[in-house]
Amino acid sequence: MKKLLLTFFVVLCFAFVSFAAEILLEEPVIVTSAGQSPGALQFTVVAKMVSLDYKFDKLYKAEDVDMSQFKTFVIVVGASGKGLGAAGIDIEVEINRVLALAREAKDNGLKIVICNLEGASRRGESSDKIVTTLAPLASVYFVKSDANEDGFFTNLSEEAGVPMATFEMTVGLKDVLAQYFGK
Amino acid sequence: MKMKAIVVVLLVLATAALGSFFRPDVRPGYGVTGIGWLSDYFAPLKGTNMDTPIYFMDSGVEGPTFLLMGGTHGRELSGTTAALVFIENVVVTKGRVIVMPFSNISGVSIPDETGKALHFIQVETKSGPRFLVYGDRRTDPADQGIPDPMVFKHAQSGFTLEDGTEARNLNRQYPGVADGNPTQQLAYAIIEMIKAEKVDFNLDMHESGTPDKYIDERGNTRSGSSLAYTLVCHPDALEIGAVAIMEIEAFYGVSMKLEESNLGYRGLSHLEIRNATGSLSFLSETPNPGQDSWRKVYDVINDPDYPLKHRVGLQLQIIQSLFNAYEMLMGETVLVTGLPSYNETMENGLFIYLN
Ligand SMILES: [Zn+2]
Repeated sequence: MKKLLLTFFVVLCFAFVSFAAEILLEEPVIVTSAGQSPGALQFTVVAKMVSLDYKFDKLYKAEDVDMSQFKTFVIVVGASGKGLGAAGIDIEVEINRVLALAREAKDNGLKIVICNLEGASRRGESSDKIVTTLAPLASVYFVKSDANEDGFFTNLSEEAGVPMATFEMTVGLKDVLAQYFGK
Repeated sequence: MKMKAIVVVLLVLATAALGSFFRPDVRPGYGVTGIGWLSDYFAPLKGTNMDTPIYFMDSGVEGPTFLLMGGTHGRELSGTTAALVFIENVVVTKGRVIVMPFSNISGVSIPDETGKALHFIQVETKSGPRFLVYGDRRTDPADQGIPDPMVFKHAQSGFTLEDGTEARNLNRQYPGVADGNPTQQLAYAIIEMIKAEKVDFNLDMHESGTPDKYIDERGNTRSGSSLAYTLVCHPDALEIGAVAIMEIEAFYGVSMKLEESNLGYRGLSHLEIRNATGSLSFLSETPNPGQDSWRKVYDVINDPDYPLKHRVGLQLQIIQSLFNAYEMLMGETVLVTGLPSYNETMENGLFIYLN
């Protein structure tokens, strides 16, 4: 059954490869959450499927991370009251934490991915504020389609002239990773 | 107030004296290998309306033990019904499943206090007419036997809720109190059972309002329930939950939201069961139109957008997908036959799966 499930995911993914990456991303990858929803952990579940070389902590702090060790910084955006409550932080503290990491990443020449993995359920005021705050630093957007029904991510991507990849289902992120990381 | 208390005491005594407790209609299939009572693990429940039957489905083959809970909240019909479908159809071929279809049977024994759905809803099954029970969210005040506090306070922490009636909400009282009020004792008994049976993982099935937008009395558009279509996981169980909902979305077309237990919100099953017993805990929410306070009329069985077969089918699929994900991350799992998938439930209808 274990193999069966994995095979399902593999088979499924071939059906969705329908675009070419406009930029190439490199490993190793550092992943964090912005907003403490479980989306960042979901990202790592998919990343394992393509054997992406990544390190993940949902609460990385800029002062504790050596960004020069990495080539790509993935920020999985999703504001969750439950998650922020569990971490004992408010949204402003969270935005400042991630912004400091992103600036450090930029200074070290990393490409920065802003990812919405949980779709419309993470398109509230707080999640949107995180995205717009980080937008000037974005190299590429990975977005679940139903989060972009109002064109929010399309506008950001077009304004900044950076590419955006979308996927219909969470597991579809696998194709996006495969394309952008040349897997 | 005094009068009310006396009446409550008399009611409790009368109920105890008559021994007339609520007994649900459960028609076990071949997969059930034993039936017990929650009071087997905590004797004070015996002979009260808090005691509830437990169904054992043991493959006899070594493997993990899974606990399936319905009826924590009596009006959350997809949970109690999915538990019945499991008991009446499934045969476990590896490991063991324990099903407690009516976890707070006292709540199930009274009608929904919002009062719009019938307490007993007739459906047509292969054995003829049968009634599904649509109960209340909380313990019957008569069974609780003491007035609700002004403010609810969780026994093991300083956590409080403004609404004192939450003292009768099983899913605020974990891990329970042995010499506490009846709802606290119920939670305590469930924890004792999970420890004694060495339950490896568990699912507590719930329903919420629907995600439909609506217009309130002032004419403002309000968003629907953000809880609908959610799988809440203990932080230690989050990765299993993530894999499960990915499978459900990819193969059955239903997108669910993953949530992690809020460590500051105490008394909930998905947080406290893991912390008290080690069992990996999950809680599912499907959308029940009967829980939308704004709906003037509704049909909790045949709603065009959220029919019961959709909600029960999803609960059943969550169970199977959790089994699959558990195997992927833990190495082995519970194997079953006869568990209808989401698609099978949608195609065949729900009631052919009730005996
Ligand atoms: Zn509930």
